[in-house]
Amino acid sequence: MDAGSGIGMLENNNEEQLIQLQHIGKHYRLADKTLHILGDVCLRIARGESCAILGSSGSGKSTLLNVLGLLDLPDTGNYRLNGIDVAQASPDQLAALRNQLIGFVFQSFNLLPRLSALDNVALPLTYRGIAPRQAREQAHAMLVRVGLGERSEHRPASLSGGQRQRVAIARALVGKPALILADEPTGNLDASTAQEIMALLIELNREQGVTLIVVTHDPLIANCLARRVEVHQGLLREAGAA
Amino acid sequence: MSLAMPSSAGPSAAQILVEALNSLRMLGRRSLLALLGIVMGSCSVVALLNIGGNAAAQSIAIFRNLGSDTLVLQLPPQPTGRDGLPLRLSVEALGRQTPAVASLSPVMTYGAPAIFNGRVGNANIIGADPALFEAARLNIASGRSLSEFDRKEAYAVIGASLAQALSLPDDPLQPGDQLRLQSYQFRVVGILQEGAPGMLLPFNANETLFIPMEGMTRINPVPQISHVVARANSAEEVIQAGEQLRQTLAQRIAGDAPVTLIFAQQILEGMQQQTRTFTYLLAALGVVSLIGGGVGVMNVMLMNVSERRREIGVRLALGARRRDIRNLFLVEAVALTSVGALLGAVLGMAGGWGYAQLSGWAFFLAPGALPLGIGSTVLVGLFFGLHPAIAASRLQPVEALRDE
Repeated sequence: MDAGSGIGMLENNNEEQLIQLQHIGKHYRLADKTLHILGDVCLRIARGESCAILGSSGSGKSTLLNVLGLLDLPDTGNYRLNGIDVAQASPDQLAALRNQLIGFVFQSFNLLPRLSALDNVALPLTYRGIAPRQAREQAHAMLVRVGLGERSEHRPASLSGGQRQRVAIARALVGKPALILADEPTGNLDASTAQEIMALLIELNREQGVTLIVVTHDPLIANCLARRVEVHQGLLREAGAA
Repeated sequence: MSLAMPSSAGPSAAQILVEALNSLRMLGRRSLLALLGIVMGSCSVVALLNIGGNAAAQSIAIFRNLGSDTLVLQLPPQPTGRDGLPLRLSVEALGRQTPAVASLSPVMTYGAPAIFNGRVGNANIIGADPALFEAARLNIASGRSLSEFDRKEAYAVIGASLAQALSLPDDPLQPGDQLRLQSYQFRVVGILQEGAPGMLLPFNANETLFIPMEGMTRINPVPQISHVVARANSAEEVIQAGEQLRQTLAQRIAGDAPVTLIFAQQILEGMQQQTRTFTYLLAALGVVSLIGGGVGVMNVMLMNVSERRREIGVRLALGARRRDIRNLFLVEAVALTSVGALLGAVLGMAGGWGYAQLSGWAFFLAPGALPLGIGSTVLVGLFFGLHPAIAASRLQPVEALRDE
């Protein structure tokens, strides 16, 4: 495979459905018991859609997010991301898919404490072999975009929770992914900051057409998004407007 | 597969290195402790290799002073001349046929108790030509050497240790005193200087009583020539002189039993090999301490990996490949050991210099010490860094990201 095919993949791919899950199952073996985390999950998410995944803790929504984010592979079923069958990919190819297609936003931000905000944002680009100077330029532009252009040299420890999550969003976006996966992005933030962060994510979804999936247990957050699905005991169902 | 898989390239070497150094700085005191272990290991390898090298050079220098122009020929047992009688050798005739030889003497060996004023010492008795004292570089401390005019006399020159063994504080053995060997009285005409026991000569001069070869029959009815000791015109002519002597001797000895040539060069080579073994032994000791340091590095790196699980998970989520994670930690381990190797090399050279000063040796940089010391240290870092790095790279993204 040549390196160029990875970069040009988004444009070349006319697949309308970004995500196609078919009969996805995931179970863990604990001692001699088998725990079924995901039963038989089918889900299609179109390019540019925004979707909330709701569910109480232990419902399997985190496992579903890990499967969607290629952090974990399903035991059964078929997952096509951007038309690519994930089960066929080698670990290196999975890494490349994560790097180029997916931007993660975590509940606890997960910024690297030793790197400045700018270097945190530039990190995904270095795993693409982009030269440091160029990576930093793009990272700075992205920090400006999330309103933190002035803070680019700060370490995460000297930023507020909301600022840290903005840095994390900038890091998720800097690689121009097709998909943003946000796992409880406002879970560690106060109500008003949470609103700002959700507003930022939705704005990015609308303006840049990036597909947005937010995992949350909070119906108020879920209501900000166009579509809502609910995970309950390993099964998925569409949830109407709350 | 319907679509081509994407591929990604990793960060550049310089980026990895800068990150590794930053990370080591953040590890702070713990990486300093691991560094200390590595510094000690590297220091001991470099110092020991250098001390070993200097020691070898020193012992060879000492040996050179003893005379690399000396050579010894060992004759077959009970040598018989062409005339069927026990071998006799004329020093003048041999000297004429061996132009590269400066001086030479046949040597007869016998052992008998030497008695002086009722005190008995076990003497190694050498019957030789007066030229032996020059050929074997034996120096007189008091009295005189044997001369051409002493051939028929019952005269003897005594080695320093033997003379001391026969002396009492109030009754020292002095030139002019009489010694009894079996039923003959020998007059001591000279006492030798105490010398280093020669590695080449077939006798230890300190323990020996030297008498004229012609007098050997007085104490040994069938004296036999066992060796010929000679000195070449110069160190360069040693091999040539040895060959000339060997051929000349072989012509005079009946039968074809071999005449064995021994010269300092051979022994030098043997010694060099020995000191090389010694150096390797010292280096092995250094390597053992280096391995101790390596275990320290592995310890720090394993802790480092387990503390940075989450970071590993984040990096994997952002698109790091397994080898990126492996390199991240491997470069840290190697950077740590490289710094330790350099510091250790400086300390080790200082230690080697100090040791040479204390021992009064000439200090020089042993050729292998620095590359071997630094190289083995970095290899140890690589070896002990590999396990934690591979363990880190095998973490699954989900496991790494999971909160404890």
